[in-house]
Amino acid sequence: MEEKKQAILAEIPNLRRYARALLRDPDAADDLVQDCLERALSRLDNWQTGESPRRWLFTVMHHLFIDEKRRARRRGRTLVESPAGNEDAAVAPVQLDVLASRDVLDALQGISADRRAALLLVAVEGLSYAQAATVLEIPTGTLMSRIARGREELRVLLDRARRRKSIRVVEK
Amino acid sequence: MNDHRVYTDRDIHLALDGELLEDERAAFARWLEDNPPMKAVSERYAADRELLRDALAPVADEPLPARFAGFSEAGADMRKVPRRAPWWRAAAAAAIFVAGGAAGYFYGMLRAEQSVSSVLRIADDAVAAHVIFAAEKLHVVEVAADQKDHLVGWLSKRLGTRLQAPDLEREGFRLIGGRLLASGDAPAAQFMYENPEGARISLYVTHCAPAAETGFRLYEHEGARTFYWLDEGFGYAVAGSMPEDMLLRIANASYRQLLSGQDPSG
Repeated sequence: MEEKKQAILAEIPNLRRYARALLRDPDAADDLVQDCLERALSRLDNWQTGESPRRWLFTVMHHLFIDEKRRARRRGRTLVESPAGNEDAAVAPVQLDVLASRDVLDALQGISADRRAALLLVAVEGLSYAQAATVLEIPTGTLMSRIARGREELRVLLDRARRRKSIRVVEK
Repeated sequence: MNDHRVYTDRDIHLALDGELLEDERAAFARWLEDNPPMKAVSERYAADRELLRDALAPVADEPLPARFAGFSEAGADMRKVPRRAPWWRAAAAAAIFVAGGAAGYFYGMLRAEQSVSSVLRIADDAVAAHVIFAAEKLHVVEVAADQKDHLVGWLSKRLGTRLQAPDLEREGFRLIGGRLLASGDAPAAQFMYENPEGARISLYVTHCAPAAETGFRLYEHEGARTFYWLDEGFGYAVAGSMPEDMLLRIANASYRQLLSGQDPSG
């Protein structure tokens, strides 16, 4: 039991990184990690011997994430209003590679949660396709298309972020 | 042994993610060298991944907040740790942003085989065509809306499908006409609309790979933007220079009408 706890403990930094990337807000992300740890601890028996603690914990966290996302969507419907359409359209874009971490994490939030999770698990958390597909409970083919689309969307969003950035710089 | 395998942009992802078979790596690397556009895509994705990893690395490296430190002293009860707002509140905020920015992700997927560059080309062409012709005073369209039946019939014939010019009156835009354009070596149709303030939006339609399907995507260039989607062999792009939310509403209305227009019973 103590070994299991230690193994879980060792994953906290990775869980926090993944949660932060999923949710953006640091407190919200740590709350998700805490929920995940509580659930994991209360269900240690579900953790099969030999299963990687990381994969198991990511699976637990994924369940929490989608449950709440579903709830949030039901609640959020009426709140959906236009996103800020405040880009200055008149300034010619000058591509500057000046993105801060903040901008990258903001851009990440523009990708649908499904694709964000798939991309993060593989590209940042280093899971194999097989592991990530197990965590997300989807076929590998679906995982691959989510990654492909997620990457492409991220590219476009990063370009937009750079353009905004360049507009900001130009306006100064 | 695998020299005859055909590589696609799908393999770019496999290679980046360490999923390419060992004995395919050399052939894939040669393929990349012979395909500069694909090599550029691959390098760009790799660079974006580095940005992501760099942006997130500090989170894993920082000291654990007190609530987790307490957990390490085995037996500490985490339930006692006070919280602020539930984390899903931030998730809801994020969902709102996503829903607003991409209300059209209802359908479909970009098939992994579909080349990234050809999809973007459609969006890019649509934006360029919009910027060029929306700025015209005298010759904004080739055939004006007073000959709408002729216009739609002509463009349908040239594109080889039954086109329709969506009715955007409810969005405040009136059809002023359209024109035939070239998209690569294929024909493309452009319908131009205008609102009472003189703002213009255009719907651009051209051929794309038959298998390609996407939800709404946003592409922006030089102050103009387009929401575009691929469906059953055609790429559609609604382009304009207005704010994203306004353009999205128009794109949604166009999408719905074009979709119902494609109904075989319709």
